Amino acid sequence: MDRERLRAEVKALLAEGLRLDLAPADIPDETPIFGDGLGLDSIDALELVVLVEERFRVAIPDEEVGKRAFASVAALVEFIAAEQGAQGS
Amino acid sequence: MPRASTRAVAITGLGAVTALGPDVRALVTGIAEGRCAIGPLTLFSHAGRCRIAAEVPEAVPVPLAAVAPATARRLSRADRFALAAAAEACRDAGLDAALRQQTAIALGATTGGMRETEEAYRRRRAGEDRRFRLGRMLGTPLSTSAAAVSQALGLFGPRVTFSTACSSSALAIAAATDAIRAGRTRLALAIGTDQLCRLTYAGFDALQALDPEPCRPFDGQRRGLSLGEGAAALVLEDADHARARGARIHALVLGHGTATDAYHPTAPHPAGAGAVAALRAALADAGVSPERVDYVNAHGSGTPQNDAVEVGVLRAVFGRRLPRVPVSSTKSQLGHTLGAAGAVEAVVTVRALGDGLLPPTVNLRTPDPAWADLDLVREPGRRVPLAVAVTSSYGFGGHNVTLVLGRAGAV
Repeated sequence: MDRERLRAEVKALLAEGLRLDLAPADIPDETPIFGDGLGLDSIDALELVVLVEERFRVAIPDEEVGKRAFASVAALVEFIAAEQGAQGS
Repeated sequence: MPRASTRAVAITGLGAVTALGPDVRALVTGIAEGRCAIGPLTLFSHAGRCRIAAEVPEAVPVPLAAVAPATARRLSRADRFALAAAAEACRDAGLDAALRQQTAIALGATTGGMRETEEAYRRRRAGEDRRFRLGRMLGTPLSTSAAAVSQALGLFGPRVTFSTACSSSALAIAAATDAIRAGRTRLALAIGTDQLCRLTYAGFDALQALDPEPCRPFDGQRRGLSLGEGAAALVLEDADHARARGARIHALVLGHGTATDAYHPTAPHPAGAGAVAALRAALADAGVSPERVDYVNAHGSGTPQNDAVEVGVLRAVFGRRLPRVPVSSTKSQLGHTLGAAGAVEAVVTVRALGDGLLPPTVNLRTPDPAWADLDLVREPGRRVPLAVAVTSSYGFGGHNVTLVLGRAGAV
């Protein structure tokens, strides 16, 4: 999957999956996903892990991986691409 | 004798979100015009006998500035109804931030965010969500509505949630009254909220408790109740405190009474044992004799059993004077809002006292012949000065609560 399409899918998942008052295109690439950036909280974190795992067939096994994966939309896109690459998909 | 030793409790603020509209003005106007807000059920599909309900028609404005965005996104409709009604009541009472900070909350509800939880199950079963989604089920505990209200409006006083079926918010008013009388708080917000959901709709339909047509309380042809939804809120206040700050006093809570049937999970006691006891206890608590009651806002659900038992209760307490006591049911216009009903009907009764306008029972064509002697108020209502009114709420399982309200300056 190319990066642009993956980025659009990740943003759509954030906006629709978490029911944000924000259009996918309005989600910035570099803003932190948690904390003040998008106004998400710990329950959103839990849900987002499940959504990302289901949608992209990748594993986020612990907090360390999560922190890295959810640093920003750009980081999440890179994380998914790398994981999927490692799976040979 | 009046309870001279305890504090008088004033009602200084009103708020309501109902099928008649988003505020008290819409409610009072709709009631006075004799509008029936029971229409097609659109919120979810239902395959049973009935297809009608009194739905809140549109999105209501909710003050969410003080609520974290992530929390605000997940509020259930029941939470939002409660918040809108509570905000209106606080505005109406003129409560600034400092007064709100001292205010207690007592809230009644029966199913709270059940509809959102049902939707999470539906999505899971339909394969729309591959796993249950926590964020879709956070409105399940009944306590979320009171939590949302206190957070959004900055209420730091004691907070309690009651669930006693259809008397939940009448009990909330009673508890708030007691807290003020005892001097534990000078201000309390009593709230009732509930939204339509599949559980209650399918449950009442399966029990054959729903009328396929808009409910007809006290009619000879009545076949059951109609379900509704919404919220109402009342600011209760130590009357001396209210006068000292120059607040407008809509009415007084003169007394309340609570008693149980200890009889059956859904049916009322045939002789209305608990309901009679609650009404007598409320009048005694108020120091008001039955002769002084000018209006009864009945539970009046429209089920064959309830209305028959309720008339028996009124006969037992008012005796030969009953034909001179006007009786009507707000549920004919708003449906049965379950946990919200006690508060909604208290607001309607407070305004009836203040406006001197008896609300009608709509859809009442031919009263049950056994009650030909009763003064059942029909459309278009009636203008008459009122001083004292009672409003009763009877919940499944025999949870009976009666409130006695008085017009400010008349009692």
